[in-house]
Amino acid sequence: MTKNLAIEAQGVDKRYGHIQALKGVDVAVEEGQIFGLIGANGAGKSTFIKLLVGAVRADAGSLAVLGLQPRKDKRALREQIGYMPQSPALYDDLTAAENLRFFGRAHRLDKLNEKVEQTLDFIQLSERADDPVSTLSGGMKQRVSLACALVHQPRLLLLDEPTAGVDLKLRSTFWERFKQLAADGATILVSTHQMDEAVHCHRLAIISEGSILTTDTPQRLLQRGRATLQLWRGELQDTHAMQDYPGDLPKVLQKYGLDQQVTRLELQTNSLEAIVLDMMGSSSSDSGGTK
Amino acid sequence: MEPFFRRVFSVTKRVLRQLQHDKRFIGLSLMVPVAIIYVLYVFFDSLNNPLLDANAYVFPFGAYIVHFLTFVLTAIVLVRERVTETLTRMMVSGYQQLEIILGYLLAYSTLATGQSLVVLVEITWLFKLDYSFATLASIYLVMWLLAVISMALAIFVSNFASNEGQVFPFIPLVTLPGMFLSGMVISIEGLPDWAQVLSRFTPVYYATEVMHALTGGGNLWDESAALLSLPIYGLVVLVLASFTLRDNA
Repeated sequence: MTKNLAIEAQGVDKRYGHIQALKGVDVAVEEGQIFGLIGANGAGKSTFIKLLVGAVRADAGSLAVLGLQPRKDKRALREQIGYMPQSPALYDDLTAAENLRFFGRAHRLDKLNEKVEQTLDFIQLSERADDPVSTLSGGMKQRVSLACALVHQPRLLLLDEPTAGVDLKLRSTFWERFKQLAADGATILVSTHQMDEAVHCHRLAIISEGSILTTDTPQRLLQRGRATLQLWRGELQDTHAMQDYPGDLPKVLQKYGLDQQVTRLELQTNSLEAIVLDMMGSSSSDSGGTK
Repeated sequence: MEPFFRRVFSVTKRVLRQLQHDKRFIGLSLMVPVAIIYVLYVFFDSLNNPLLDANAYVFPFGAYIVHFLTFVLTAIVLVRERVTETLTRMMVSGYQQLEIILGYLLAYSTLATGQSLVVLVEITWLFKLDYSFATLASIYLVMWLLAVISMALAIFVSNFASNEGQVFPFIPLVTLPGMFLSGMVISIEGLPDWAQVLSRFTPVYYATEVMHALTGGGNLWDESAALLSLPIYGLVVLVLASFTLRDNA
């Protein structure tokens, strides 16, 4: 059964002066998915998200978000989406709860205070609710920023590098929350340049220099990598390179019949990062953004 | 309450809350005009020229100071909102351009009310001016209107700046013609025709016209065209600002 599409972009172009920010971008995100947009800094991730929220206009192509056109149906669309920009985009001199109340008031919400409390509880920041944002750590600000995007319980969350500059423990908490939200029916589009986060997504799009290189599940992307099997029989060592290791591995091992003399097996697979870098053909890239 | 007004008041409440947290900003916003007016007093006092009627200059100067400060403060605050992406976030959250602008105008009007009052009281006291309450109230109204227009003008101009640095060239561009072409320093009849046309584009011109009438013994309606031009000017700038307020840097 095919699910409804929360986001459908076809042949989207965006140019800033002489810079082509997006080139013929095709993206389809099913409802209820966590969709990762992976790419180095400057690849076009933020531009694509800004197009989705209707903050910038596409030069060409078609774009539908929750069945609406981001520019034309701005008002109707913005009721249903939550947006977390790359920078915290908070009022530092207001408290965490005041920030949530302010952004929440833009929507027709019943029991706003209750929803603010629930959201702060969800991001585990209730104890700092009444502290000015300026007194919070960078990670806490990111959490408040996420909470501002969540307070009205949107159908679609557009998160622009939500885990940038966040420590490992908090990153893991963020992903737990994203999975919880997706399980509750929300669709999440999250951009990141951290490859290790890609495995948390249902589907990924790899974006480089404004173009989508591929869209697939993280598992299938990993399978695209090369694997190397090293096998020792006493002092003798054999090495087998496999292009499709889940398919090729049994064939290789069958040759040995799992000889009792096999004392050690090592399987080295390409990391997602290496696979993506291969795709980008930019292992020599100086962007420094892809880790 | 209608969603439109609810969102306008929400912006106002948020800005007022921020002002409440920033006591230094409020203090400086009120103390800076006090200090400048005192310098103005020292200047006129030192001229010691019996032919110069300071009365004709001081209220337009006071209004100009409020105009200048309000314009600068509002433009910088708005550009800061754009730089920190809170403006984008506000608009993506569902706040509309006009709601944001009106919310800001309402909030900063409280500051403009205070600034105009401080300037008026200080000028009257320092220069030992003896005008009727009705005249002073009329001058206050003009000063206040000019301050509110300056805010709308700053919101409009802030659209053309992506960061605080880019807003600085606009400060002299918008405020200095108000000083030289408004009739505040010299009569505009002495200016070339093109400069006289240009003078109509600065709100200080209309405020100065009305203030000159008031300090010359007239009332608000003696310069009713200039007086009406102020809210019309404000409305035009407000419409321009609400159509041009962008939600991205």
